[in-house]
Amino acid sequence: MSNEVILRAKQVTQRFGGLCAVHNADLEVRKHEIVGIIGPNGAGKSTLFNNITGMYKPTEGQIYFHDMDITGKTPYEITKLGMARTFQNIRLFPTMTVLENVMLGVHSKTKANLLDVIFKTKRAKKEEEETLKKAEEILKLTGLYEARYNYATSLPYGYQRHLEFSRALASSPELLLFDEPAAGMNERETKELSDFIFKLRDMGYSILLIEHDMKLVMSICDRIYVLDHGEVIANGEPEEVRNNPDVIEAYLGKEE
Amino acid sequence: MKRLLHVWAKHEKYVNVVLFAAAVVYPLIFTRQYLINVGILCLVYVLLSLSLNVLTGYMGITGLGWAGFFGIGAYTAAILSTKAGWNFILTFLAAMAVTGMFGLLIGMPTRKLSGRYVAIVTMAFCEICRALETNMDWLTRGSRGIPNIPRLELFGMKFNKQAQYYLILFLVLLAVIVMGRIVNSRIGRGVLAVKDDDIAASAMGVNPFSYKVMIFGVAASLAGLAGAFYAHYIGFIDPSNFTFDQSTIIISMTIMGGLGNPMGSVLGAVTLTVLPEILRPLMDVRQIVYGVMLIIMMIVRPQGILGGFNLKHIRQQDSVHKEVRNE
Repeated sequence: MSNEVILRAKQVTQRFGGLCAVHNADLEVRKHEIVGIIGPNGAGKSTLFNNITGMYKPTEGQIYFHDMDITGKTPYEITKLGMARTFQNIRLFPTMTVLENVMLGVHSKTKANLLDVIFKTKRAKKEEEETLKKAEEILKLTGLYEARYNYATSLPYGYQRHLEFSRALASSPELLLFDEPAAGMNERETKELSDFIFKLRDMGYSILLIEHDMKLVMSICDRIYVLDHGEVIANGEPEEVRNNPDVIEAYLGKEE
Repeated sequence: MKRLLHVWAKHEKYVNVVLFAAAVVYPLIFTRQYLINVGILCLVYVLLSLSLNVLTGYMGITGLGWAGFFGIGAYTAAILSTKAGWNFILTFLAAMAVTGMFGLLIGMPTRKLSGRYVAIVTMAFCEICRALETNMDWLTRGSRGIPNIPRLELFGMKFNKQAQYYLILFLVLLAVIVMGRIVNSRIGRGVLAVKDDDIAASAMGVNPFSYKVMIFGVAASLAGLAGAFYAHYIGFIDPSNFTFDQSTIIISMTIMGGLGNPMGSVLGAVTLTVLPEILRPLMDVRQIVYGVMLIIMMIVRPQGILGGFNLKHIRQQDSVHKEVRNE
């Protein structure tokens, strides 16, 4: 494992009016690492995620991708730089097929403009062929190739999650951000998911994920951040975090 | 009904060729001036309805004031040809450019507004256009309108009715091809994604705002082209041609025909142009018949006759089923 930090959040604070959803959060993801964010409901995990991916601009603090300050950049600019996310409540494009959903993922890496498209230039044609090929490869990897012409939302729930991963992968990211990838999955599906995430890491991706399934988090993450009331109360390897008294208190309450 | 759809999907190319051939042959068989005029009017509305379909069907933005862009195109062509003596090819291009610019401008509020609020903006825009056309007397001659707009001519040859018909048919064909290419491309996918879910689209690298503005521009410039042709064809325009009533007719065509399907626009425009002509003998009752039909449509098929079908998807799904059966 190399030590190169690819994502760094520095003293990130997000306020919504009087509510402080995230407070002075620091976070780092290194290359080829699987990092988890855990915490009770309402701890600010998703907000921090939204800060990183550009959905919200943090009230204070900075976010760096490699050495570039990406604070306040828009989601589509950030995706272009090499970060891709999935959503807690699946957000696929219902009027598009599975294949088209994944092809859309390649969008940020292609360039054809309106005139290219209208005059069918060589560049546009070549790009379109490459996009199709790439999307099909990804669908074979995630096991959705057979269903490629079905409408995205006609798939069973578990496959819809796979499709979200596929779409995120299509943008050729360096860093993948998964928001509760195991939500709604049974034990067998969760096992498959953890194999899949390991496979992604071996393929060279770095992964940051929010998850409630403790078994999954503890078994796959290299490091874990624990959020409570918007603050990072602990971070470290799964074993350290599990035995940290602050964490136990946040989850189970204080011993009398 | 469903079988029919699959057959259509399978033979889409041939169906299109047959329809186009029918459109080509029409003025040769029906040579009465009145019938050719109805044909031309149909095609003008097809072009308008197609252009609105780009915005409403694909981008999901309801354009309530489409006659505004139609009017800008018509006035641009009329003014440039009467005052500067431009040839129709130049006035067509100028009309597209000018309306396209207005389209981009009206697309700007989509940065902050969404859905029905944008619809209101387009509606207000149509009213503003009408008011300007009526009051900018020095340019538009106000409610007296612009008469004597030069008829279409090329190298000194005046277009007869048939030739005018073929010119607008050619423009419609061009618009259908351009639309098809946009839809089946990276840009078309971006547009659909923004329509479906703009947050997810922006997380996948699509800039929703720039797509909305761009599509506004493309759609408006096609409407402007229809306006420019109309001005040269009819020879006289005044602000009463481009009122909210006109906008209502155009959006009825687009919605009744079917959103997001070019053939829907053709069907909607032709039906709603021909129907009032056929119902002419009924005099006053025809408005009622017309209204009742629209209401029935809204109850039976709110997405429009051909709305919600994607022939390419049907074809693709059928091809997979076939593979499975063959194995």
